[in-house]
Amino acid sequence: MGFSFLAPLFLAGMAAIAVPIIIHLTHRQRKEAIAFPSLMFVRQIPYRTVRRQRIRHWLLFLMRSAAIVLVVAAFARPLLDRSTAAAAAFATAREVVILLDRSHSMAYGNRWSRAQDAARRVVDGVGPDDRVTLVLFGERAEAVTQPTADRALLRAALDAAGTSSSVTRYGPAFQLAREITERSDKPRSEVVLITDFQKAGWDPRQAQRLPEGTGLTSVDLSEEGTTNLAVTGAALTRSRDGERERVTVTARLANLGGNALEDVQVSLTVGGERLQEQRLDLEPGAFVSLHFEPFVLQSRPLRGIVRAGDDALPGDNAFHFVVEPDEPLGVLVIEPRGADADHSLYLRRALEVGGRPGFRVATGRITQLSPADIDGQAAVILNDAPFPTGATGRRLREFVEAGGGLWAVLGRRSPPGAWPTEGLEFLPVRFGGPVDRSAAGGGTLGYLDYDHPAFELFRTPRSGDFSATRFFRYRRTDASEQARSLARFDDGSAAMVEGRRGEGTVMLWASDLENFWNDLAVQPVFLPFVHEAVKHLAGYVEPKSWYQVGDVLDLAQNIETLGDVDIEGVELVLESPSGGRTVLEVGEEPAMVRLEEAGFHELRPAGDGGSWSIAAAANLDPSESDLTPLDPEELTAAVTAQGESEAANLEAVVLSPQERERRQGLWWYLLVGAAGLLLAETLISNRTRGSYAKR
Amino acid sequence: MKVSSFLDPAVLARIDNLELLARTVVDGFINGLHRSPYLGLSIDFAEHRQYMPGDDIRRIDWRVFGRTDRFYVKEFEADTNANFVVVLDVSRSMDYASGEISKLDYARYLAACLSYFSRQQRDRVGLVTIAGEIVDFVPPSAKHLDIVLHTIDRAQPRGSGDLAGPLLKIAEAIRGRSIIALVSDLYEDPRAVLRAVSYLKNKGNDVIVFQVLDPAEIEFPFDGPVHFEDLESGERVPVVPELQREGYRDLMRAHLDDVSRLLLDNRIDYSLFNTSEPLDHALFSYLLRREKLNRVR
Repeated sequence: MGFSFLAPLFLAGMAAIAVPIIIHLTHRQRKEAIAFPSLMFVRQIPYRTVRRQRIRHWLLFLMRSAAIVLVVAAFARPLLDRSTAAAAAFATAREVVILLDRSHSMAYGNRWSRAQDAARRVVDGVGPDDRVTLVLFGERAEAVTQPTADRALLRAALDAAGTSSSVTRYGPAFQLAREITERSDKPRSEVVLITDFQKAGWDPRQAQRLPEGTGLTSVDLSEEGTTNLAVTGAALTRSRDGERERVTVTARLANLGGNALEDVQVSLTVGGERLQEQRLDLEPGAFVSLHFEPFVLQSRPLRGIVRAGDDALPGDNAFHFVVEPDEPLGVLVIEPRGADADHSLYLRRALEVGGRPGFRVATGRITQLSPADIDGQAAVILNDAPFPTGATGRRLREFVEAGGGLWAVLGRRSPPGAWPTEGLEFLPVRFGGPVDRSAAGGGTLGYLDYDHPAFELFRTPRSGDFSATRFFRYRRTDASEQARSLARFDDGSAAMVEGRRGEGTVMLWASDLENFWNDLAVQPVFLPFVHEAVKHLAGYVEPKSWYQVGDVLDLAQNIETLGDVDIEGVELVLESPSGGRTVLEVGEEPAMVRLEEAGFHELRPAGDGGSWSIAAAANLDPSESDLTPLDPEELTAAVTAQGESEAANLEAVVLSPQERERRQGLWWYLLVGAAGLLLAETLISNRTRGSYAKR
Repeated sequence: MKVSSFLDPAVLARIDNLELLARTVVDGFINGLHRSPYLGLSIDFAEHRQYMPGDDIRRIDWRVFGRTDRFYVKEFEADTNANFVVVLDVSRSMDYASGEISKLDYARYLAACLSYFSRQQRDRVGLVTIAGEIVDFVPPSAKHLDIVLHTIDRAQPRGSGDLAGPLLKIAEAIRGRSIIALVSDLYEDPRAVLRAVSYLKNKGNDVIVFQVLDPAEIEFPFDGPVHFEDLESGERVPVVPELQREGYRDLMRAHLDDVSRLLLDNRIDYSLFNTSEPLDHALFSYLLRREKLNRVR
């Protein structure tokens, strides 16, 4: 017969008795002061001076301590146990969760085989009443078996498991372990964590505390003195040499191990051909950028790999990318009737200059325009020209509503009277006559919406200054609730307004772009501003040269870049770098695919000889290359309950301990005892104080 | 190819000569960059060259285009004669070190490196040391690098860290638009910091704020009941670090977030440097950010 407790964790409260004594005996306040730069924060934190006192009244101290012990014991709900031995057999049954780290860092050396061996040993130790769940985790956690005692099944699952290209995240793994152990009806729960304790994967803010009574056993697979060279990224810089587009690759390398690396071979392979090779030395912890000679881009997308050295973690020694030639965006600039030959000079020349993407600029007078001129364009600019009428106007409206972009520039040749009614209704705001600011030296822009893509480029300091632009005239606009003001003049009038029409965008600029009503066209910001605005109107999204493992690939968006490819009813296949194939159906909804492996993924029609294909490169998260381990105790302390006692749970028996505790009701006697002690302590302390007062 | 690792501030502390130190750091890490980082720090430009496809279109000079009908790029904008002034906080709070190097030493190295770096770009360099008031003032000049380094070298901790008074005087004293780098631990209310820095900014100067802190000021790793003495006021308060650590860290984090947010919202560059970080690493991080900004004039 012995005592046990229904809520043993409350016993940890007894430690409260020891804390003041230990602090009192072991921490003597230092006499010397620590010099500190500023106390502005320290002063703000509530603090009561700790005065060192001697224990003068041992009887009072013991009575108070005993009262605390009794209260704590009452909260722990004690019960007399007469059948411990009988219950022991049941009480040893366990719910075991094996958390097996399969992140990419586990591919380092023989870590994975050691991890599998460790997991097998746990499985071999499973008793007939135990249940085991195998959870594989990287960035996400997945239970690959249901809770089972079937060792053969668990071993088979272990044999089939392998490392992934994913990063390490401990949070989801402990979340799943918590859910499994909370659902369990076994008296004991145990979580076995098999991992390399990679520091980069641990975020204390996402720590999931395991339920009370759950033990954590960890198997640390990290080693001292790891060596790891990683290609952590690459920059692709494009340039033009006549009609040929060249690409310069700059690779970023990091020696994340503790040893110096000498004569490391770094190579660039493009389109399956090994183009260049360099050698370099790297000190421990060194980061370096390495330039390769530019190569010429061809008319088709090319796959490239930067590969550096060879070590125990080969996955991050290669960086994959896909580089494809830029397709210029079609821009139609419409000029008004009777305009000069150089009417759109600044706008046209700005769009003809470099940049990515390039622009294919066509210019036409409004009087000579036909609906066919709008076909194939990505954006249309009404450069001080009114909205076209008739069939061309209808085609322009259809173009915008289907996703195209229209920019109405309202200069001196655009009085509202010159615009047809249907054109005025199509604009996001009404506009009126000109405001003349020339007498005061011109107005300025007082507000810019830096959150808008047209101005986002200029958000940071010294990234472009619109304040130098002087506006001598501009058109007054009436605000509309459906429109968004992107820029305002210093008198509050809208300078640039945007509205949605169907799938497309209509933008209005309340002055001109030709250095007549304002001098924006000769300001340095003009060129990037025009580029950004037109890219936004055209809905341009820069194609990604690579993704990171775990990113989502938007198949529909990628297929759109192919132009006139009809995928209606076509079965598509996505082939992973390891050769795995996934059959996809692209319907009305956008199809998204998560890239789980590093390397090249290829999308193409099933059973097709190769009429088209799309390649997407995926690379490892660079943080996974940093093998620095964290202290296992830090993680253990964060996820397990404080003062956890496995023995307490072993005492828990099958014969309804709650019921026995309720019947015995020992907590009530303990509370009464505590109350009696506190009463006596009050009386004695009052007398003691009285005697001091007399003295 | 041999690539040197970043230099440790504790190693730099053993170099007596400040110019040698600045040269070691600046030249060393520029060599590691594999290309010139000299861009975007000053105001004028040296020369034009014809636009080549692939150039950053933001660098095209439209005024020249208007006159010549050809595209020209303003190259090496930094290769100029702009004013660069370091405002170095030498208040007593800067004289704190939990390791081998104090904040003031670190700030000295940083100031020396930035001055040397700017002189390499042919900027006029100047220096103001402050400690609640202006202590030393070296006006910007093309010939003042030696004086600046010497003044940095002999700067001694003194006075309080009040910024508003000295920065207002500096704003009035410096003529012409300058690039002003303020190096301080910013132990003031973030709004007061912004107000003080705005004196400089509102005069049309480009202001860059470098906040230098010791790791112990961020982590508060002390233990045992102890008295803390304020380096500036000499005030003593009893502290139980174990009980106050979390609160301290929260306040410090909030302070740093507020300073960063307020400055960046007002388009003032801001970087936080930790004295345990290699100096060239810090410069590297800063320049990477500056490079992204890629100034347009």
